[in-house]
Amino acid sequence: MEVLDKLLNVALLVATLRTTAPILLVGLGGSFTTKAGIFNIGLEGQMLVGAFFAVLGSIWSGSAFVGVLCGVAAALVFALVFALLVVTFRANEVVVGLALNILAGGMTISLMKAVFGTRGSIVGHGIVGLPKVQIPWARELLGSWAPLVSGYTPLVYVAFFAVPLLVLFYRRTRLGLYIRVVGEKPEAAEALGISIARIRYVASLLCGLLAGLAGAHLSLGYITMFTENMSSGRGFMAVAILIFSNGDPLRVLGGCLLFGFADAFSLRLQTFGFPSYLILAVPYAVALVALFALSYRSRPRIIRETLESMRKLLSVEPGRADADNTPST
Amino acid sequence: MAVELIGVTKRFGAFAANDDVSIAVRRGEIHAIIGENGAGKTTLMNVLFGLLQPDEGAIRIEGKDMVMADPAAAIAAGLGMVHQHFKLVPSLSVAENVFLGMEIRRNGLIDHAAQIEKTRELSERFGLKVEPTERVSLLSVGIEQRIEILKVLARGARIIILDEPTAVLTPQESRELFQTLRGFVAGGMTVIFISHHLEEVMEVSDTVTVLRNGKHVATRPTAELTKADLVRMMVGRDVSFARRRRERTAGSVVLEVKNLWARDDRRLPALRDASFTVRAGEIVGIAGVAGNGQTELAEVLTGLRPASHGSAVLKGRDLTTQSPAQIREAGLAHVPGDRMVRGVDGGASISANLLMGRQTRAPWSRNGILDWQVAASQAADMIKRFDIRARGPQDTVKRLSGGNIQKVVLAREFTNDADFLLIDQPTRGVDIGAQESIHDEIMRQRAAGRAVLVISVQLDELLTLADRILVMFNGRIMGEVDGDGADSERIGMMMAGVEAGAATGGAAR
Repeated sequence: MEVLDKLLNVALLVATLRTTAPILLVGLGGSFTTKAGIFNIGLEGQMLVGAFFAVLGSIWSGSAFVGVLCGVAAALVFALVFALLVVTFRANEVVVGLALNILAGGMTISLMKAVFGTRGSIVGHGIVGLPKVQIPWARELLGSWAPLVSGYTPLVYVAFFAVPLLVLFYRRTRLGLYIRVVGEKPEAAEALGISIARIRYVASLLCGLLAGLAGAHLSLGYITMFTENMSSGRGFMAVAILIFSNGDPLRVLGGCLLFGFADAFSLRLQTFGFPSYLILAVPYAVALVALFALSYRSRPRIIRETLESMRKLLSVEPGRADADNTPST
Repeated sequence: MAVELIGVTKRFGAFAANDDVSIAVRRGEIHAIIGENGAGKTTLMNVLFGLLQPDEGAIRIEGKDMVMADPAAAIAAGLGMVHQHFKLVPSLSVAENVFLGMEIRRNGLIDHAAQIEKTRELSERFGLKVEPTERVSLLSVGIEQRIEILKVLARGARIIILDEPTAVLTPQESRELFQTLRGFVAGGMTVIFISHHLEEVMEVSDTVTVLRNGKHVATRPTAELTKADLVRMMVGRDVSFARRRRERTAGSVVLEVKNLWARDDRRLPALRDASFTVRAGEIVGIAGVAGNGQTELAEVLTGLRPASHGSAVLKGRDLTTQSPAQIREAGLAHVPGDRMVRGVDGGASISANLLMGRQTRAPWSRNGILDWQVAASQAADMIKRFDIRARGPQDTVKRLSGGNIQKVVLAREFTNDADFLLIDQPTRGVDIGAQESIHDEIMRQRAAGRAVLVISVQLDELLTLADRILVMFNGRIMGEVDGDGADSERIGMMMAGVEAGAATGGAAR
């Protein structure tokens, strides 16, 4: 019981929300491209340049807010290049996305070397992190539960408030509707004179905006430093969540919370002395297994067909044995 | 005059899809435009609707000269077009689809309640029954078409163009559509519809325009014409659509299907308890509206889909436990319903396509090495025998017209010496001239003692070919009708799910 108490408490929930926020931001960004019918594997790179330039902007200006703007601007440039190659020049989206990810990784490392003369990480140098937001009256009203709603950096709130906003966006705004139509039935959009290219550009840039925020949150909110490759696969996890959730904001939230919980839980496990490299794999494994289980029912046709033909080859189709025994009418 | 097209010419390279075509459509009439595939019907309508720009010629709407720069200009002029392929978004509701592109908004947000209300209003005013809140993905094609028409009406169209509107409908649904169209013209609107279905043209239109090879052949009141006149004008010669003459040749049972069940992609039962036989030297037709289990039946018989219950025995072998390759070996030839997906490899040559399936056999293969020369010379023979219009065996298949691609599939499947031929939609999207030669070929296979199962959504075709017709509805075989003296009205009722009274039970013969 003592062990459980140590593992599961308010602090764990708080940690879950904290770890969920960056992946939720980038996941919601990817929701725009997913809904618009673009498979955007470049989320990771957009997030990474967002994180790096947020730190750079913060040092340069002495303001966390300007830092966030710089991070977003950098991610938008990446999103624009992505859209230009994928939408205008019709390049393969996976190739372009991967290339931009590699570019982001290499570029941040060499810029780090050029600007700071170091490798590995940037700490100090006058980085101004985002302040924590204290919700007034939270402590008085909620007591020990207060940390659940109060004391996060601003982008955590942005991430969670973005979810209902996105639901409204897809349901009630013209742009949201057009993004869905372009992704689901491009020929219908075309027939109605909706420019597919323009909508896809807009979706891609909206995605860059949120991916940039996610990056800035990582380096200025989540922690106040930049390290090589600090997005550490969150962009790819977001892609996985997007595939399983089909970009629906609520389902993205669900997937991200799951990942965030597993991440927070694994950090907690570390205090029990399990090998750290195993523990670091826990969130990814949990999220993948859970997502697979969730989508098992709607598993893609190809898996279903394979299973069916295997079943057929083995002749264990349920019902067949019964059928042979009953006299045919 | 509601619409006047004057000397319209549209060229694609050296090829003139429309060559100096002039048509006048009076206000308040139903004007049918007929012609074979490639006669230029759709091109002409696309020119009228601003989707294509004519090289020469003028367009007048209600007496005024118009330049249709894009569809928006056509819509503004009061035109509306219902395309052959529906452009609806499945995950959206009926109302959302109707108002897509012209959403009703309040405070910048889409006002769903107002859209639903307006859709209901339109639906009642024009007698097009729909439920505005339903999701389109759950609706049948007949209703989808109503939504497409509502879309056009919501944009204020007074002149409505329909491209092959009945191709996807049951006879009953078509009749309802015609009633709706009659209501439109009674209210002063004008309807132009493209078709190559002669019966419905005779039934519903006031005036007929015939196009052939991009040229205008005639525009006449329908009442002055007979079906034979229309065919002669469309094809430029006499074509027989009478029931094929035949002798009773049905021999021993080749295929016996017993209590066959199968599920569709959503795991729902799509084929329910089908039982029938096909004998050597007879053609059995499967009639029904698309999506009533015919696809699943064909897929089970060819090994592409598992059966959930029952058996299908081809010359003593149960197909339901065999792979597609084993089934072919057992004596099946299969002309698939969608030739571009399962019939041919569009990017490959004719000879490569004709080789497929026999690549391991002599003379095409010797000691495991393909002999392309043999393949090419065999292909040249088949091109001649099946009258495939192509430049030669090396021609890429997707360059051919639909009818010629279909002939490539037939040429391959009919020369395999299979005892059982499964032909799904033998003439879908094939023009009348090619239809005739495909029917000839099927009759030759019958005479050669093959057992033939023809699945078709075109009832005329089955009435022409089949010795017996089985009607499918909702996965069940509703009944069986003898091909001689078959009553299309009764078959139509069965296609719509109405029990065939005395004929029930005949299916399990």
